[in-house]
Amino acid sequence: MALPKRIIKETERLMNEPVPGISAVPHEDNLRYFDVTIDGPSQSPYEGGLFKLELFLPDDYPMTPPKIRFLTKIYHPNIDRLGRICLDVLKSNWSPALQIRTILLSIQALLGAPNPDDPLANDVAQKWKEDQNAAIETARQWTQEHAKP
Amino acid sequence: MKFGQTFKEALKTEGFPPDWVESAISYSQLKKCINRLTSELAQVGLDPQTLGSLLKKVEDYNKATENDDVESRPFEYLLNDDDSEEEPIDGNDNAANGTTASNGSSKKKRPFHPKLLFYVDEKTGDLHSAGLDEKTKRKLQMFAVQTGLSDIRVHEESPRESIASTDLPSPPINGHISKRRPGYRTVEVPLTSDSEFFSMLASELSGLERLQEREEKRMHDEIANLGMQVAKLTNPDRRANRKLIAVWRQIFQIYLESDIFFGTTESDHSEHDAAKAAERFQLFSQRIAEAGLVEKFKKPENLKALNTFMHINQEILQSLRFGEINQTAMNKILKKFDKQTALDVKATFPKQIAYPDFSTHLAKQVCRTISTDLICTIPQLDDYSCPMCMDLQWRPVRLRCNHVFCIRCLIVMQTNKQHLCPLCREKTVIDACSDNLDIELAAYLKKWFPDEVKAKQKYNELMAGVDEYGEVYKEKCSVM
Repeated sequence: MALPKRIIKETERLMNEPVPGISAVPHEDNLRYFDVTIDGPSQSPYEGGLFKLELFLPDDYPMTPPKIRFLTKIYHPNIDRLGRICLDVLKSNWSPALQIRTILLSIQALLGAPNPDDPLANDVAQKWKEDQNAAIETARQWTQEHAKP
Repeated sequence: MKFGQTFKEALKTEGFPPDWVESAISYSQLKKCINRLTSELAQVGLDPQTLGSLLKKVEDYNKATENDDVESRPFEYLLNDDDSEEEPIDGNDNAANGTTASNGSSKKKRPFHPKLLFYVDEKTGDLHSAGLDEKTKRKLQMFAVQTGLSDIRVHEESPRESIASTDLPSPPINGHISKRRPGYRTVEVPLTSDSEFFSMLASELSGLERLQEREEKRMHDEIANLGMQVAKLTNPDRRANRKLIAVWRQIFQIYLESDIFFGTTESDHSEHDAAKAAERFQLFSQRIAEAGLVEKFKKPENLKALNTFMHINQEILQSLRFGEINQTAMNKILKKFDKQTALDVKATFPKQIAYPDFSTHLAKQVCRTISTDLICTIPQLDDYSCPMCMDLQWRPVRLRCNHVFCIRCLIVMQTNKQHLCPLCREKTVIDACSDNLDIELAAYLKKWFPDEVKAKQKYNELMAGVDEYGEVYKEKCSVM
């Protein structure tokens, strides 16, 4: 099946004008599958880390949102052990006018502003609420251990 | 190479118009002025070392006590009494300063009358300052005594105002209240070369400003003319112009993508300096050449218009560069002034004669005219693309919330029960019907994007077929 014009355009722009701190490269054999990396935002516990993600555009994209998952282990209240992300714009608040670019920016922002009140049912959010400083320290350690570039 | 030479060389060799070169900062003359001032200062015993060490002492003292007390400055060099509401200096002084130039400028600028003031304790004759070494102190005391005797004006800032002689500039006492320090006398050192220096600089700056205004107007007219010409050449009502519109559109699109004078992406969103702009302009010309667009122009009028367009850009580049070297020249000369006189003037240089943004302002204005008067004569595809499929918004459907989508995406949304507008999330998709077709916009798109409309129409029909008969419909088409 031919690639829709929209995906071609989005890919071109991601290549020509990359977002600072984010890269997204499509697989050669499947142009709907992207290798993504996001730099940990400065002044967050993820600073200095390089996080790998996978992104897939389903057949009915942009009617349905892209499927995104963290591949790098990360300690974050809105990201579970399998790397699944709890972010409204990836689910109920998705709009066909959003793009790969804007979604990745949202994820980068989520790293800078964790939201333990809307957790993805995991123990991390609990820890984050009980002892934030300890949780941030753990996040920092995990970044050092798993997200070294 | 010394900067003076580099500057001269740049003015000579970089092909600036003669009237620009004439308006440039006269670096070498200003330099001579500084030399005269240094010798004037030296005559009254204030060589740069003395002044410099004075300043440094106070700074060190302030740093050590972590208090930045302006009051403890041993001397003050006032450039312009700009924050007080003092009367402008009367005509007498003006003539004495040998300047009328700054009065001639379009904006009202007061002539410069810099003052070098010392503060001396009334009773002891001690200099008001902290932590001066004995030698410097003695020197200045000597100086203060001398000044009382010689031609140097000493006046006490007390209501008595004793020595208000005729040669005094007689600043109104009220204006000085903030500067006055109880128990201290103010000693003013008479200098003439500094007034000369600043009036020269000020008049040159206003000259540069006038030049900028002139150039801006000229370029605006030039662009407006070119815009009209391009509009005429690409009149969409003539079928013969169809191909031409596509070529011009592509040229302007590459131009917009080249971000020559300003960056418009997340990683680069600033103004470019002359070097970067020149580099990007080079890239733009290269892309135009690679795309083989010039060859597509059959009529010489089009080629001529393109050349004018390139020329205008080169002029902006040149003015950027001209502004930059002049700004550097001004910064250098002020730095030199400070270094040779230690009067620490650069920080306090008044805003009225700040550098007039010759380059960036001009580039900004001209770029805006280019986009409003020139690029806009030919609509760009990006401004008429559907936010969902990113293709031309054909046929255009305008929702109640005023957002426009192509009919194909609207059908897809409705069948997928996506009821909210993707842009504003208002519930407008669900009740869109044939009444929402934007007929006017459709006519406009057909006129300006005939080829794109044709292609999108074909695609829409194909997809409608797929909706009805399934994926097989596509294959059937490709067989035929």
